[in-house]
Amino acid sequence: MDRRSFLLGTAVGALTVAANGLAFAQDAGGTAPDLAQFPRNETVIVHNPEGIIRNPSWFNLWAVGAGNGTSNGLHNLTTDTLWFIDPDAGIEGASENAVYNSLADDLWQYNADFTEMSVKLKQGIFWSDGVEFTADDVVFTVEKQKATPGTPYNGAFSAQVAEVTAPDKYSVHFKLNAPNSRFHALFSVRWTAAWIMPKHVYEKVEDILTYDANPPVSIGPYTLHSFDPNGTWYIWQKREDWQRTALGMIAEPKPKFVIYRNNITTDNRLIEIRNGNLDMVHDLTPEGTFAVVKDDPQIQGWFPGFPYAHPDPTLPMIIFNHQNEKFQDKRVRWALALMLDARAMSMASYRGAATLSAISVPPTGTHPRDYHAPLQDFLINYEVDTGTRKIKPYDPNIGLQIADMVRPQFGDAVPTDEAAVRNAFGYGWWKQDVAAAEELLTAAGFTKNGNQWMMPNGEPFAFELMVPQEGVINRLGVMIAQMWSQAGVQATAQVDSDPWGRQRVGNYETNIAWAVETWGGHPDLSFFLDSYHSAYVAKPGESQPDRNWMRWTDPRLDTIIENIRKIDFNDPKGIEYGHEFVKLHLEEMPNIPIMAYNVFSIQSNRFWTGWPNAENPYANPVTNWSNGRYIFTQISPVAG
Amino acid sequence: MQGYLWFAAKRFIQLLAVIFFGVSAMFVVTYLSPIDPVEQVLGRLSARSNLSPEAIAATRLALTEMFGTDQPVLTQYVNFWSRLLRGDLGASLMAFPTPAMELVLRAMPWTLGLLLTSTAITFVVGNLAGGLAGYFQNSRLLKAFGIVTMGLQPIPYYIVAFIILIVFGYLWPVLPISGGFAMDVRPGWTLPFILSVLQHSLLPALSLVLVGLGGWFIGMRALVSNIVTEDYVTYAELAGVRRDTIVGDYVIRNALVPQVTALAMVIGGVFSGTVITEQVFNYPGMGSLLVDAVNAGDYSTVLAVCTISIAAVALAIFIVDLLHPLLDPRVRAE
Repeated sequence: MDRRSFLLGTAVGALTVAANGLAFAQDAGGTAPDLAQFPRNETVIVHNPEGIIRNPSWFNLWAVGAGNGTSNGLHNLTTDTLWFIDPDAGIEGASENAVYNSLADDLWQYNADFTEMSVKLKQGIFWSDGVEFTADDVVFTVEKQKATPGTPYNGAFSAQVAEVTAPDKYSVHFKLNAPNSRFHALFSVRWTAAWIMPKHVYEKVEDILTYDANPPVSIGPYTLHSFDPNGTWYIWQKREDWQRTALGMIAEPKPKFVIYRNNITTDNRLIEIRNGNLDMVHDLTPEGTFAVVKDDPQIQGWFPGFPYAHPDPTLPMIIFNHQNEKFQDKRVRWALALMLDARAMSMASYRGAATLSAISVPPTGTHPRDYHAPLQDFLINYEVDTGTRKIKPYDPNIGLQIADMVRPQFGDAVPTDEAAVRNAFGYGWWKQDVAAAEELLTAAGFTKNGNQWMMPNGEPFAFELMVPQEGVINRLGVMIAQMWSQAGVQATAQVDSDPWGRQRVGNYETNIAWAVETWGGHPDLSFFLDSYHSAYVAKPGESQPDRNWMRWTDPRLDTIIENIRKIDFNDPKGIEYGHEFVKLHLEEMPNIPIMAYNVFSIQSNRFWTGWPNAENPYANPVTNWSNGRYIFTQISPVAG
Repeated sequence: MQGYLWFAAKRFIQLLAVIFFGVSAMFVVTYLSPIDPVEQVLGRLSARSNLSPEAIAATRLALTEMFGTDQPVLTQYVNFWSRLLRGDLGASLMAFPTPAMELVLRAMPWTLGLLLTSTAITFVVGNLAGGLAGYFQNSRLLKAFGIVTMGLQPIPYYIVAFIILIVFGYLWPVLPISGGFAMDVRPGWTLPFILSVLQHSLLPALSLVLVGLGGWFIGMRALVSNIVTEDYVTYAELAGVRRDTIVGDYVIRNALVPQVTALAMVIGGVFSGTVITEQVFNYPGMGSLLVDAVNAGDYSTVLAVCTISIAAVALAIFIVDLLHPLLDPRVRAE
């Protein structure tokens, strides 16, 4: 062999090995679908915001950290549990107060002291392999996870469930270790919940943590059709017996096929929905949304015009670390709030498409009805004592001002009706009042040296504001740091790749994130508020349980939480306690709530229509929430 | 021959040392990472559910035990090497209990297929055009080629990639902009699958080739520009040696040696993948795997990718060292 042949042979050999590996690596996939099988009037294509699914052939949702896809259709179409609580209003007639009875036939029934809970189950529901769903499945779900560390509800069931039994085929009875009026929340889907396991499948599995469940046995109206061995798409097909599922008992899911596509960058999904290759997009940038709705009249957002985005029941805010001595005086926290200009924050983050909230409840779902509107007069008359004078800091018209600011650019797309503007832009926020902020700081013992505020100990008032690497929250944080700097506070926006990790262990001074998440469609605040109890506050450096990232403690707060624990989920008194919490929060300002986490979810009416929106808010359009399943019962194909 | 074997043996020992120290350094770096894989899993679990603080604490304990992150660092290091020597890089912590190597092997063929092909194209075209441009310095065609490639070279890669995406995905949507192959094709050694892979790789490959050509072109042209003034080239021309022989065998071949060394480094580097290409075109590969693993605190997978990358670079250099005597008679003589 001469030198030339040797070199050529080596190159060809390397390429052959690489190509062979390429083919070999793909063999793990299911059967290849023929796209001709998926006419667009039978197929909905959904963008799933998950990245590449690293364990694509894994469908066991009862093993933690397995790297499987979740919102790839698996928890949207094949799972079920006792109840769903919609982040929006829910389908009229099928839900009450946004609560759906899913596998349960009725609401939870507690005994007087909330130490026992009984549930009646629906009859006539079957798993996709033909086995009937019964109370034994629920009992197995609890007992198996209780006995298996590494399952998602191992800790919850171990800590809370003393005994679970099935008095008959369609009844389940829980005895709890301690009174808990919100125990049913473990089986109530907001984004997810404790999914019920098919006992007949998992009881035969020796180690469920190493079981891939491929293909999954479904209790939803769809089963797995095929998937990408590289983890970027999944296709689900409607069951022949879809009527024998809880969703099917509400109405027929219209698409025969649902395709979930993930790992699609913002620019790609913008192009893909424009080209008709996606029907639902989880989210875009504000700018991307403005461009595509202008370019394609068939594409819609949540609001018919500006700001288009869906406000999630999540509340981005400035979070102070209360274990840092700089932020232990509420006058300082209030001063920092009054240095901010809501209009600038809205424009910098969402280009004006923000839904503001001055109170610690997201302005979304049914919360404006229960909290923002009833508390409006209280807020207008709310007074803050600056140490020099009393001021009324609330401006109820900031939303209207922002609407006026964006109207020259977006014209008729911006609503003019006052109620519509408040719904879309928020009820109001604090007036920027730097003079009042200075009075508050002075009262707290701060002094000013030139344009620099000095703390009572003589050191400059300087701190870091942790922000994520990109996106609207990053832009919001940078703007806030800039406004504080202009007011004489040395705030530095610090970009961090792992802000949630640092937030968890309290390794930050201030932070832009959210410490409030609610059910959305239901006024109960326990979803986030229960974890605010002082019993759960960790020591500095230790891991803080979700969601009191501030590590705020207050005996009055504990009393409110304990009072909520003593009443039923649907007790109207819950709203009263919620109002008490809001007022205490205003007094203490432990964090500065800013706006809803607006998600620029868009849908195309080219092939399917009937999507939820602000005028018909029957469901959350954000595609990775498992309660998005109800959308499939309400849409219809445009052609045939 | 004995001298060559001794030379090869020394290089081989060097190869093993580079791999050992490189992988050990990576182990230390991943160990020092502030990202805790247990907390990452917990974050994903608790952020969207309604778990009580007691439940989260119990799950944390269970995961720490499962992942083995509670063991002393020295124990973890020894376990890592003992597993590695058996070809086992441990379970991925972001896809537990799937072996990290399985994740790497799934992503690697895509990276190799795309990057080896695009590197080969840029190397051959860039060097050939650069060599000719260095020799035929008055050619208008080659001058124009040089202007285009050197014009593209300084443009940030992601800009070129996005322009290609918009042109071929939106303005003139003739090529797929996402994925490695179409949904209606069964993976395997079939013509539809091969064609689909080629079709899906066209845009990512084009972006890499456009940006990659300039470097090779400029380097080769500069090398050749020096060589053409050498006495032996002038002598060959005066002696009436055929022009293509002078260009191919006398000029480009001599200029190629440093380029081949650079090629070895590039080929070794392809094992790390190209993050931006994979992200812009949603293309599978090692780059995004590495980023995901870092963000998830999955040090098993990070180490798997890095071990392969370190071994590949070291091996590529080793092979080039061994090939040099074959390419360059002067090295052989030494």
